[in-house]
Amino acid sequence: MSTENLMLLAIFLPIVLAVVPLALVKKNALAAGAVAIAASFANLVVVCLAYGKDAALTLPWAGWFFEFTLRNYQFSSFILAAAALFGALLSVYNTVFLKDKAYGWLFHAYFLLTLGFVNGAILADNLLLLLFFWEGLLGLMFGMIYLGHRDAYRTATKAVIIAGVTDLCMMFGIGLAVHLAETATMSQMKVPMEGLGGLAFVLLVIGAISKAGSMPFHTWIPDAATDAPMPFLPFVPAALEKLLGIYLLARVTLDFFKLDGGHWGSMLLMVVGALTINLAVAMALIQKDYKRLLSYHAISQVGYMILGIGTCTPVGVVGGLFHMLNHTIYKCCLFLTSGSVERQAGTTDLRKIGGLGRKMPVTFVLFIIAAAAIAGFPGTNGFFSKELVYDGALERHWIFYAAAVLGSFLTAASFLKLGHAAYLDKGRGDASKVKEAPAAMLVPGIVLAALCLAFGAGNAFPLHNFIQPVLGDALHGHDYSGFHFKLVLVGGSVAALLLAFANHYFGAKSKGSGLAAVDHIHYAPGLHQIYDAAEKRFFDPYDWARNVGKAVAYVGFGIDRAIDFFFNKVVVFVAGGISGTIRALHNGSHATYLAWTLAGLVIVIVACMAGRL
Amino acid sequence: MNECLLFCLVAVPLFGSLLLPLLGKAGDQARNIFALVLMLCSLGISCFLLPVIAGDQVLTVSVGGVTLFYADKLAIFMALCSQTLGTIIILYSFGYIAHYEHRNEYYFMVVLFLAAMMGLIFSSNLLWIYFFWEITAICCWRLIGFFREREYVLRADKAFFITIFGALMMLGGFLMVYGQTGTFDLLEIKAYLGRHPGEVIDNTAILFILFGILSKSATLPLHTWLPDAGVAPSPVTALLHAAVLVKIGVYVFARLFVATFTVDGIWWEVVPWIAAASALVSACAALVENDIKRIVAYSTVSQLAFILLGLAVHNEVSVLGGLLYILMHGIAKAGLFLCAGVVEHETHNKDIRRMGGLVKTMPVTAVSFGLCAFSVMGLPPFGGFFSKYMVVNGALESGQVAIGLTFVAGAFLTLAYLLRVYVRVFFGASRAADDGHGAPKEGSPIMVFSVALLAALSLLSGVVIGPSFQFAQEAVRQMMGR
Repeated sequence: MSTENLMLLAIFLPIVLAVVPLALVKKNALAAGAVAIAASFANLVVVCLAYGKDAALTLPWAGWFFEFTLRNYQFSSFILAAAALFGALLSVYNTVFLKDKAYGWLFHAYFLLTLGFVNGAILADNLLLLLFFWEGLLGLMFGMIYLGHRDAYRTATKAVIIAGVTDLCMMFGIGLAVHLAETATMSQMKVPMEGLGGLAFVLLVIGAISKAGSMPFHTWIPDAATDAPMPFLPFVPAALEKLLGIYLLARVTLDFFKLDGGHWGSMLLMVVGALTINLAVAMALIQKDYKRLLSYHAISQVGYMILGIGTCTPVGVVGGLFHMLNHTIYKCCLFLTSGSVERQAGTTDLRKIGGLGRKMPVTFVLFIIAAAAIAGFPGTNGFFSKELVYDGALERHWIFYAAAVLGSFLTAASFLKLGHAAYLDKGRGDASKVKEAPAAMLVPGIVLAALCLAFGAGNAFPLHNFIQPVLGDALHGHDYSGFHFKLVLVGGSVAALLLAFANHYFGAKSKGSGLAAVDHIHYAPGLHQIYDAAEKRFFDPYDWARNVGKAVAYVGFGIDRAIDFFFNKVVVFVAGGISGTIRALHNGSHATYLAWTLAGLVIVIVACMAGRL
Repeated sequence: MNECLLFCLVAVPLFGSLLLPLLGKAGDQARNIFALVLMLCSLGISCFLLPVIAGDQVLTVSVGGVTLFYADKLAIFMALCSQTLGTIIILYSFGYIAHYEHRNEYYFMVVLFLAAMMGLIFSSNLLWIYFFWEITAICCWRLIGFFREREYVLRADKAFFITIFGALMMLGGFLMVYGQTGTFDLLEIKAYLGRHPGEVIDNTAILFILFGILSKSATLPLHTWLPDAGVAPSPVTALLHAAVLVKIGVYVFARLFVATFTVDGIWWEVVPWIAAASALVSACAALVENDIKRIVAYSTVSQLAFILLGLAVHNEVSVLGGLLYILMHGIAKAGLFLCAGVVEHETHNKDIRRMGGLVKTMPVTAVSFGLCAFSVMGLPPFGGFFSKYMVVNGALESGQVAIGLTFVAGAFLTLAYLLRVYVRVFFGASRAADDGHGAPKEGSPIMVFSVALLAALSLLSGVVIGPSFQFAQEAVRQMMGR
């Protein structure tokens, strides 16, 4: 089959098969899951067959700049393959997790539609086509989140409003970019950074980093962690949205705008990246819920990717992209462990669980590997990608490097707390009946954990085959695989990890519990008040925007009411006054009518005379 | 033959509507089916005329040397939009209006309304436009006050007075145009302006005509009659808001200002700002209101501003966006109103604060409302995505970045108020007080079919965008002479 047809299959196969769960007469989650597995694995085969093959395809669509143009090349096929791999693994996991859920069939349908739309966005070589698939995910996101429970619609609304507003910003940015470049074909797009080009850059970056879950567009993710069905978390915020957001960010900075390190755009990205790393991980540190804690890390880790790409150095960009791949692997794995815990222990509230390591040993081992990877433990994939990002950051300014290392310390500290609290602490609830998760739920996690190790020790494989070819000549022949980092960087990373272990040891020992191991940070003078305010959502930009929006809405409503008052009262009053006066003058008196007639005559005569003059 | 068909397109529903009250005496079913047949007949003729106006062909109907009707791509496009929606709305009325009195008058007014719309669309003369314009105003007045209560009649009067005020101003504008060009005929006016390059229609005449357009299309500050018209029965509201009445104004704007007149360039800067103010103020009101029909009505005011923007920015991209917006918004907003009608019909309530959780008992209506709302929000793969993108980017094409950004803000608000009403009505726990009507259930099959059809059309119009996009593109080229 030609690559062109494979591209079409990658988009339309999941979308068409999504209709099957919807069309099932008896809404059976297991049958829908089987369809999802078949479609996801077929999708994986399709994208593997198309991997790395250059191909382009244009089909008739709407008109004007709306062209259905697809392009398969190294970068897009790499992202496509990653998305397909996660889709296939998660379809298996979801089928087991959702088999008893009433909404399972619907979730599987949304799952496949999402997969098809993501494939469309990745393969699109026309910015408007990309926007079509990109924004199309909004409705699906709403659908998936609201399935969580009766009141999950609030989080679904929040997610759609945040993502919708940033997508609209991106839409305007795309409009500007297309207007300036006079083409919507991504492979031909060159946009100047000056003037309106700068605005287009910012708006496109807003769209990309918001999709990736960066601050300040992140606050729906922790809420979704508690409200959305668990399978949503590894699938959307942890995997697909990261791939999509970082993919576009890389395209915008590297292809469309040719950003260089001296530009304010680069500085902007690095600042956003550094802040996202630390503010999000600081929130993760104090969480008492397994999934919510992971969700803050899903935000924090985006910071490394944005920082790496924002450095505009070859090593930083390679690190950012490698970290994107690694993050999706270990974060997916971590969310799967949280799902297993939720299913087997009935909750992910760390205050109600503990000691699960013995009951769920395989899940525990998977957690250890993935947690080591996210903490940047030497030898794991996360370590290598972080080192590359550190290298790029240090090349630009030590402050960005310091911010990244601080983030690593906090990441390690929070995972030590999580692992200790969930798996090693004495059980805080009734864990006697807890058993290991079913094999079908463990296999995807095992594959992902294996990848964490494989892409660490054997980092040359992903770097040579997936990441470095994306940058091509921009690397000037450099190879970043293997283990040849600067000593100072490795020293800094190891120091951060040792400090995290020491911090945990001190905290856990003094409080007598892994769950309270970071309480000395949480309740430190000064920090305590900030954390309290954050927990009460004082720093949620969504709430700020809502309050401002409400105030603006009331102003607009006031204007509307004032206009209505004018028509309902003022006009009626004036009309009533005039007609009342005229009515009063028509009093039936001949003398009054004669006076009217005479007055009229005088007016006519005066008018005639004025006309003659 | 084709001229005869064009004449029948207007005449059949126009004169057929007069028979409806008589048929109603014979039986409801005969009257209902005849009303549907009249609309289908009109719709069928429009479809038949599609190939006739291919390329640069136009069709004219003249009587005694006077051109009565004129069909080009813009007119057929608009007619197809209105007729399709009008047919669905009449279908929905079968279920909705069956329990109310004065059904004969209802069907008479609705079909007359749609016939007058056809007359207006195909009019080739300013006076004919005015004539049909006023017929729609009279029908609108009767339909808003359909329930006869004093409050409803007052609101009908308000709508009537505001639109009639606008119409009289517009008539004044038409007379000024006549004074300047010596004709009411649109083709002759265009020819006159072609013979006098550099001459523009007098600004006072433009201002007067704009009054009429803004009042009919419920644009700030002449918009407040539209939310008040929400007291009308739901199919009427849908008809008024989405399909016909409010689109008359923007259609006449397109017909006169874009396709016929040459106007001073200042209007291409002033009208977008009027539209921007209208979009924002009405969207703000939609965020505050709690009556489901008023929210959807304010949404209409806001979305009409997007259409007006598209037409007023006056470049090929924006006008194309404006035309597509008429189609996409018409479908989706009719769906929203009809869904709101089902909800009101079944819950006996219009206050969204006393609703919730209806997705469980009214799943088809809930899904249909959601799909139509997504289209109005401009989300892909729905049709609204294309029109919103084209309109906003039309502003960029003309270098009006600030206007473009203002409308992006309007799009934010659209997202917010539609999600608010959607989740409050259909999700969460029920907040309804026990009013003795029992738990709400799904509407009658024909009502549910109608809303599902509109939702499906909203989706289909986006997924299969090609034909409507290309036809609208050809219409724009014909209008703008490119």
